[in-house]
Order: sequence, then C-alpha cells, then structure tokens
Amino acid sequence: MLHIKPIVVALKRHKAGTVLIALQIALTLAIVCNALFIIQQRIGRLSRPTGMVESNLLAIQNRWVGVDDNATGPLIKSDLQALRQLAGVEDAISTNSFPLRGGGWSMGVRHDPDAKKPVSSAAIYAVDDHALSTMGAKLIAGRNFRSDEIVWVEQKAYAASPQIIITKALSDKLYPNGSALGKTVYITDTARPSTVIGIVEHLQVPWSGTWSDSFSDCVVLVPTQLTGNFGSYLIRSKPGQLAAITATAPRLLIKNNRLRTFSRDRGVRTFETVRAQAYKSDRGIALLMGVVCAMLLAITAAGIVGLTSFWVGQRRRQIGVRRALGATRHDILGYFLTENLLIGIAGVVIGALLAIGINLWMVTQFEMARLSMTYVAAGVVALLLLGQGAVLAPALRASRVSPVEATRSV
Amino acid sequence: MLKMTHLSKVYRTEVVETYALRDFNIDVKEGEFVAVTGPSGSGKTTFLTIAGLLETFSGGEYHLDGIEVSNLNDNARSKIRNEKIGFIFQAFNLIPDLNVFDNIEVPLRYRGMKAAERKQRIMDSLERVGLASRAKHYPAELSGGQQQRVAIARALAGSPRLLLADEPTGNLDTQMARSVLELLEDIHREGATIVMVTHDPELAARAQRNVHIIDGQVVDLSEDPRFHTVHAEHTGTTA
Ligand SMILES: Nc1ncnc2c1ncn2[C@@H]1O[C@H](COP(=O)(O)OP(=O)(O)OP(=O)(O)O)[C@@H](O)[C@H]1O
Ligand SMILES: [Mg+2]
Repeated sequence: MLHIKPIVVALKRHKAGTVLIALQIALTLAIVCNALFIIQQRIGRLSRPTGMVESNLLAIQNRWVGVDDNATGPLIKSDLQALRQLAGVEDAISTNSFPLRGGGWSMGVRHDPDAKKPVSSAAIYAVDDHALSTMGAKLIAGRNFRSDEIVWVEQKAYAASPQIIITKALSDKLYPNGSALGKTVYITDTARPSTVIGIVEHLQVPWSGTWSDSFSDCVVLVPTQLTGNFGSYLIRSKPGQLAAITATAPRLLIKNNRLRTFSRDRGVRTFETVRAQAYKSDRGIALLMGVVCAMLLAITAAGIVGLTSFWVGQRRRQIGVRRALGATRHDILGYFLTENLLIGIAGVVIGALLAIGINLWMVTQFEMARLSMTYVAAGVVALLLLGQGAVLAPALRASRVSPVEATRSV
Repeated sequence: MLKMTHLSKVYRTEVVETYALRDFNIDVKEGEFVAVTGPSGSGKTTFLTIAGLLETFSGGEYHLDGIEVSNLNDNARSKIRNEKIGFIFQAFNLIPDLNVFDNIEVPLRYRGMKAAERKQRIMDSLERVGLASRAKHYPAELSGGQQQRVAIARALAGSPRLLLADEPTGNLDTQMARSVLELLEDIHREGATIVMVTHDPELAARAQRNVHIIDGQVVDLSEDPRFHTVHAEHTGTTA
C-alpha cells in the first residue's frame, strides 16, 4: 500500500537533502552508464581477431649485434632455413611487422597515382611466399606469391612491388562493388603500379590503438625481404608444439649465429603474450574505470544510508506517532522504501538524460559510439535497486521504533 | 471497556528494576469520562501507554473491549490502535512536515479508507474543533491551543470508542485548557469513553470519576490517608 502523495508533500519540506541525493544518483547513473559502455567497447577491442592462427604462433624479435645492416640478408636467409627445418615447426617467416606488434609501416593506397588523398591507409608486411601458411591467413581469391617473385632489398631502397596480396577489407574499400583481384593500385611510389594477385580473408594491422580504427583490417603483403636490423621472425608450430619450440627456436638461432640479442620483454614471445602486451593499456583503462564506477556506486549507497539514517533519527518521534495512530511496522518500512524510490526515480530520470547527453557530447568530441539504451536501462534498474538496498537497513531500524516513542517528552 | 487486573509493568535497566505499575487494578466502563491524577513519576503515563497498546506489560491481565490483549501480535495491536483508540498527547505530536489536513488524514490512510470518505471525515472533524479554515496550514503556523485542537480532530476523525489523553492541557494557558476540556466533554456526551491524565484538579473535578495513582497503584481517595497531603502538594504546584 503506497501513500505517495503525503510522502511527496513531506519531501518538499526537506528539499536540500532530497535534491542532493537525487543529483548524486543522477550523476552516478550518468557516469557509470558511460564508463561501463566505454569499458565494454575497450573489452570488445581486446577480443578482435588478428586473422592469424594465434594459438600456434611464436614471435622472435631479433637484433643483430656488430653486423652491418647491408650484411644481414644472408644471415636472415640462413636463420629461416634452420627454423623451417626445426622439429615441431610448421613454417616460419621473416617480416618487418605483424598484427599487434605495435610498430610498423603504414602507407596510402591510391587508384590514381596523382590523387592527393589516398583511398585508404594500409599496413605493409614485407614477407615471402611462406607468409600465408605461417600466419594461417586464408587466401579467398587469386594466388600466393611465387618464390621467384621474392626480392631482397634494403629498407631504404624499397620500391613498390609489382605483385601484392591485400586483405578483403582493403579490397572492399578500393572496389566497393567488386573485387580488387587483378586490378592495379599504387602504394608508396606513384610511378610504379602494383597488381593485386591475391586477396586474404582477414589480417589486422600492427597497431591496437583507436587511431588506426579507420583501417584496422587494411593490410598489404609485399613479396619483399627487407635487410636491416629491425625484423621479426614469426614461427608457426605444429599443433601442441608451441611450448617446445618456444624453448628450442631461440637456442637454434643462437647456435646458428651468436651475433644477436633478444630483448627481455619483446624478444621471444608467444602470440598470447603479444596480444596481452598490445592491450595492456586498454585493459588498464577498463580496470580503472571499473574501480571508479564501483567507488561512485559505493559513495552513492553510503550517501543514501547516511541521509536516511539521519532522517530516521530526526523523525523518531514522528514515527512513534504514526505507530500510535495505527501504522504497522510494515507501513513504516514501506514509507522509507517508497520515499527512497521516489527520490531514486527523480534521480534516474535526470541521470538517464544526463547519460545520453554526456554520450552525445563524446560522440561529437571523440568519435565515441552512440550509447546503447540497454546500458541506460540496466543502469536505471541497478541504481534503483542500489537505493532500495542502501535504504533497507535504516528503514528497518525505523520500523522498529516503538509507538511509545510518541509519549516521550521532547 | 478497559479492565486491568493485577497488572504490573517493570522497567529493567542494567542496575535497577523500576516497578512503574504494580498490582494495578482499574475498570473503566463504556462511556465513562475518567480523570487520572497523581504525583509526578507515579505511573500515569505508563498506565496510559499500556491502555493504548503503545507498550506491553510485565504481568497481570488487560482486557480492552472484551479482548485479552497480551496475546495480540504487533499488526493486530496496530489495527486496534488505529480503529478503536484516539490519542491526545501533551506535546500535540502533529507531524511537522504535513499540513493540518494531511495530519488528520494519517490514521485514516492507515485504515485504507477511500479518499472521498477521508475528506468527508477530515472536514467534519475540523469543523468540530472549529478549525475548518486552517486545513492548509502547517503545525508551525498555529498556536498551541490550535495545534491541540487539530490533534483532537485527528484523534476524532477515525471515530474511536476510546479516547486517551495524557495531560492534553499541560502546555496550554487556562483559557485554552478550558476550551479543550469543553471539546472533550462534547465528545464524551456523544458516547466516547475518555481517560484523561491531568495535573489540574479543577479539570479533574469536571470528570465523572477520578482515579488517583500513587507509586504505580490506584488508591481510593476517600480511604487513603495520604490523599490530603498529596492533594495539597498538587494544588501547591499547579497554582
Ligand atoms: N522507559 C522507561 N525506562 C525506565 N523507567 C521508566 C521508563 N518510563 C517510565 N519509567 C519510570 O516509571 C515510573 C513512572 O513513570 P511515568 O512516566 O508513568 O510517570 P507519570 O506519572 O506519567 O509522571 P509525570 O506526571 O511526571 O508525567 C517513573 O519512576 C519513571 O522513572
Ligand atoms: Mg506522564
């Protein structure tokens, strides 16, 4: 049995506390909704696929020590030969970069060599004919590189390759109504056209940040092995052999040639580690926002407990009088729960509008996605429940005030 | 209407047990107007709170309107308070956050009465105490006498059979006290049973019957040797 009108009337006489708590609820809802939405989006990023068979991949970042940059070609060739023969290894490549590595090249891709603006940016992976089988990338049209197409060149001297393989995402951007297969496009060098000889289903760029979101799946594979001192080996193990080759592959390389180091945190990594390191800050931000949300909710709950406790203390006599006039314990409990619910409803209405407002502002300022109404609805329910939970203890205390309290003089 | 036999009430604190009432016997008949007097601390308020089911007692029996109340649960006691009993307190006890109309409505809402009937009863009882024009006022905007009349209107609105008043005129000047008493007399004439605690012998004298409480027991004034001294004390303090 809810007696709403007299509760509203009485609340009007306690404006300060009421408005304060309603606003606190509103702010909490607005912030928590948006924060959880951002967290969810961050977490969504964490699980984006790279297009590779990650569970069997090992990445080794190799640094030559005391070897001239021009002289690394034969060393890399010898490493690759050794790695591909190692027990437990399915295939291996040397590449300038790979998905989630962090650093890499991005270049503009153009239809027209004279166009000012490229159609899209894309990451360049300089690989050989073993790339698809090592990465586990799926060729959906055209063909793989042939071994006779692979050229060895110094990084500074790289000129656009005559044959390239691109991802479907890039193909769709270049030719929305058809396929890029067999077409000619221009990368890096406006004078040298590249022909698309194959299309792979999916590969991710090396970067995990939001800045590369507009071309996160646009990749160009070029049949080139770059000499120099920056490359990585990407090694695919046979099923169940990853742990074994994680130990044997670095040893093999050292045995092959001692003139090298593997850095402590980026030297030898399973792809699981690569992924964890790439998304460390995303995970950190999500965690931080989660903690902030939890704290806000706790503060709001504490505020409700505090104010209601204060009101119960202040109204002891009035509660006694109500009991004397026939209110049951249940009526008193209901009074405080209803009072809180009314304040809560006012709070969540303002809060929902505020949440949407904050999101719209972020949409225009930071290209955030639009807040899903499910979040607002869930937030509204959560805050109303939080309010009822917080008010329960003081309300129960109120319901236990004895009717004899009415007779106590002052 | 109200019958207590060998009733006792003990307040226990960590160090002492206080018998606020002991072997307390009283029988108030339907339609009586009884004034309860006695020195401070003698147990008058305690008697009234037990009579009004605001508090439980320690021993003995209490029949209200033929019902033994010691076995009733809290909800049943609330219901009896709501439907059968009207309270008038020395401190008025209006709810400061509610206006006169809403204050009188409180017990009627707990009874689950329909809005139209509530309104009818509220206006009737306000008419009765002569404050119909003050329905929208808040308690703080009324004089003490007016507040007490609103409290009486609130007690009356539910048409209780038993009216319990604890020093209803204690905070009022003589003239206002008299008008409040006249109101109670009117209500009594219409059939309500009234038990009123008072320190004022003049008001007590206007009741049908006087009950005197000393040290938690009812004493027969005509037989008790202490009567004269106690009475003298009272005239002394209230004058
Ligand atoms: N809650 C309580 N705890 C302990 N003792 C109490 C309590 N309430 C009343 N008493 C004691 O019971 C006795 C009777 O108190 P009561 O309030 O009934 O007296 P009274 O006759 O109404 O006095 P007064 O004329 O001053 O209002 C007193 O000794 C008082 O101290
Ligand atoms: Mg008293």
